[in-house]
Amino acid sequence: MSRGDTELVAEAVGELLRGRCTQETVAAAERTGWAPELWAGLAEGGFPWISVPEERGGVGGTVAEACAVLEQVGRYAAPLPVAETGLLAGWMSASAGLDVPAGPVTTAPTARSVDAPATVTVQRTSSGWAASGRAARVPWAREASRVVLLADSPDGLQVISLDPATAHIEPGVNLAGEPRDTVHLDDVAVDAVAEAPAGVDHDALLLRGALSRAALIAGAAGRVLDITVTYTNERRQFGRPVARFQAVAAHLVKLAEQTEAVRMAARVAAANGGTASGPWFLDVAAAKTVASEAAGLVAAAAHQATGAMGMTREYELGQLTRRLWSWREEYGGELLWSTRLGAALADAGADALWPAIARGAVA
Amino acid sequence: MIFAPTELTPAEERLRRDVREFLAAELPPDFRPGLGLGGRHDPEFSRKLAAHGWVGMAIPTEYGGGGATPVERFVVVEELLAAGAPILAHWVAERQTAPTLLAFGTQEQREWFLPRIAAGECWFSLGMSEPDAGSDLASVRTAATKVDGGWLVNGTKIWTSAAHLNHFFVVLCRTSPAEDRHHGLSQLIVDLHAPGLKVSPIHYLDGGHHFNEVVFDDVFVPDDRVLGEVGAGWHQVTSELAYERSGPDRYLSVFGLLKAFVTEFGESFDDAQRAAVGRASAKLWTIRQLSLAVARSLERGAAPAVEAALVKDIGTLYEQEVVEVLRHVAGQEIDPGGARMFERLLAEAVQTAPAFTLRGGTTEVLRSIAAKGLTGARR
Repeated sequence: MSRGDTELVAEAVGELLRGRCTQETVAAAERTGWAPELWAGLAEGGFPWISVPEERGGVGGTVAEACAVLEQVGRYAAPLPVAETGLLAGWMSASAGLDVPAGPVTTAPTARSVDAPATVTVQRTSSGWAASGRAARVPWAREASRVVLLADSPDGLQVISLDPATAHIEPGVNLAGEPRDTVHLDDVAVDAVAEAPAGVDHDALLLRGALSRAALIAGAAGRVLDITVTYTNERRQFGRPVARFQAVAAHLVKLAEQTEAVRMAARVAAANGGTASGPWFLDVAAAKTVASEAAGLVAAAAHQATGAMGMTREYELGQLTRRLWSWREEYGGELLWSTRLGAALADAGADALWPAIARGAVA
Repeated sequence: MIFAPTELTPAEERLRRDVREFLAAELPPDFRPGLGLGGRHDPEFSRKLAAHGWVGMAIPTEYGGGGATPVERFVVVEELLAAGAPILAHWVAERQTAPTLLAFGTQEQREWFLPRIAAGECWFSLGMSEPDAGSDLASVRTAATKVDGGWLVNGTKIWTSAAHLNHFFVVLCRTSPAEDRHHGLSQLIVDLHAPGLKVSPIHYLDGGHHFNEVVFDDVFVPDDRVLGEVGAGWHQVTSELAYERSGPDRYLSVFGLLKAFVTEFGESFDDAQRAAVGRASAKLWTIRQLSLAVARSLERGAAPAVEAALVKDIGTLYEQEVVEVLRHVAGQEIDPGGARMFERLLAEAVQTAPAFTLRGGTTEVLRSIAAKGLTGARR
């Protein structure tokens, strides 16, 4: 892995977000559903398209670099479909030979595994293709320039890219007020359809999506740790900073441990993201299991250490913890991923268990 | 924080393969893995391991060691612990005593002890805890009085693991009056077979004999067995504790249990059991990489005390959690004399797990170290 590049990307996007993605920006986007200026700033730097090949409209780069961007997006609670635009929809489009359009693009799982039928189907018509069905919990579908989905067809799985104006969008949100819309497709004409190539299917999308959420969680957890350490050192009770009380300090240590664990898990999974299909699964399944569980522990420890202030809208902590509570379930929570991981490890047999665990980051 | 993902080099991976091949040849198919405190004391195994250069790896070659890096030692140690190999004989000498000798010992002490440690033939215990000094080590009362040519030691040490099997132990004792809590302490290397020394068992709650009480009655220790400076014992022992903290022994104590669960029940797992194994493996995968990151940073000369404390805390809590989670999903009464390896190991693990978060610094002590580091670093 080229850690140097990854760190440079993280620094650049972090600097941009630190200045432009304030608590007020996030609060405003929760009311309106969109943060156009913030998107314009990120788009100008090309950040949402990292890991999408240049010849398909992306800016190149690695999965690890894309995840480094997502960590910063999580850190600043940036209310934008960055993961969807590049790592997820961008990847599906580019892999299938479709051009990645300008503007925010979104996607969501249409089935939980390759064995399950998709909730969206696409068929040939006399004039082209038409899609029907429903995609639920689609981030920012209302603002996206395209919605990219996996759809079943008589000819096999297809990647379809459609203009959301042709669909019926039913607004919805997650716990953090981020749009999670339902896209209803009723025999809608689709102008871009391509056969899903090998390696692009429901499982692969779920895996990439889980990696994206692990990175977002890692970023948000890091910020929660920082602001909680600062707050508990400033807030005084009984004549001293509350961080000096052992019981409060224990929450801070737990917070630090969980944060370092999820950061490590997400970064290793991202660093190994460019490698072949087998290890990918184990890394991401482990990372999302750890991240989803850590999200709840981090939020709980930070709220307990911060006291009543943390429960107010005016304090930043809630913007982050409501995201942690949302992202941990997206693309599968710890139960789904730990069950899948356990099944794969049991199938491989006891003698393969240690070699699988001891295979961490790979050069 | 220095937790940066690090990968193993091809040479480190080759080393791992060699150790795996060795273990496959040495350990019988029905081998019962040692869990945590239960890794067996097997002089023959320690000598064979030493013959491959895998004892005292971090000791410089001029003292008979391997001159290896912290990560190379990490790789070997994690393979041994994952297999539950019987490494207890040389374990403390190589993990803890050798680095202390290198840091504070005289040339003569290094030349005498280090080659023997690296050969797997000189075994050490730790003489820190006392009846009135546990986490608060500065309150030790075992006292050494200066006499001609050495020191006369009187007092009592407890929880001295394997004192009945080993050759020496490093004793933290008071060499000047108690008013000066930290500056009146020194470390002495004491022969466990010295006249006046009485070693008696303190049985573990499951009946096992690992711990001992060691009573000193005018035990003579010659001047050349003072480790480091007289009066510098506190500084030496606190830096020594850091070696104990974040290695693979802090999260692999129950790997044998996890593996036995997969071996014996894996083919008929229900979803709760799959989830339990998946979760335990995911966390282990993560903690291992945190520990490896600490080892890599030691290689670069860093002193990651806070990170090491965090890894030990998260690792030992993980070990206890695995025991509970596997017990929960196994859902059967525990028969210590049962036919299957898993239930025999579970019987042992349930009864030894409370010690995981006590030895080498309790959870509470570690958290206070970590908390000071966290708040200090960010102020």
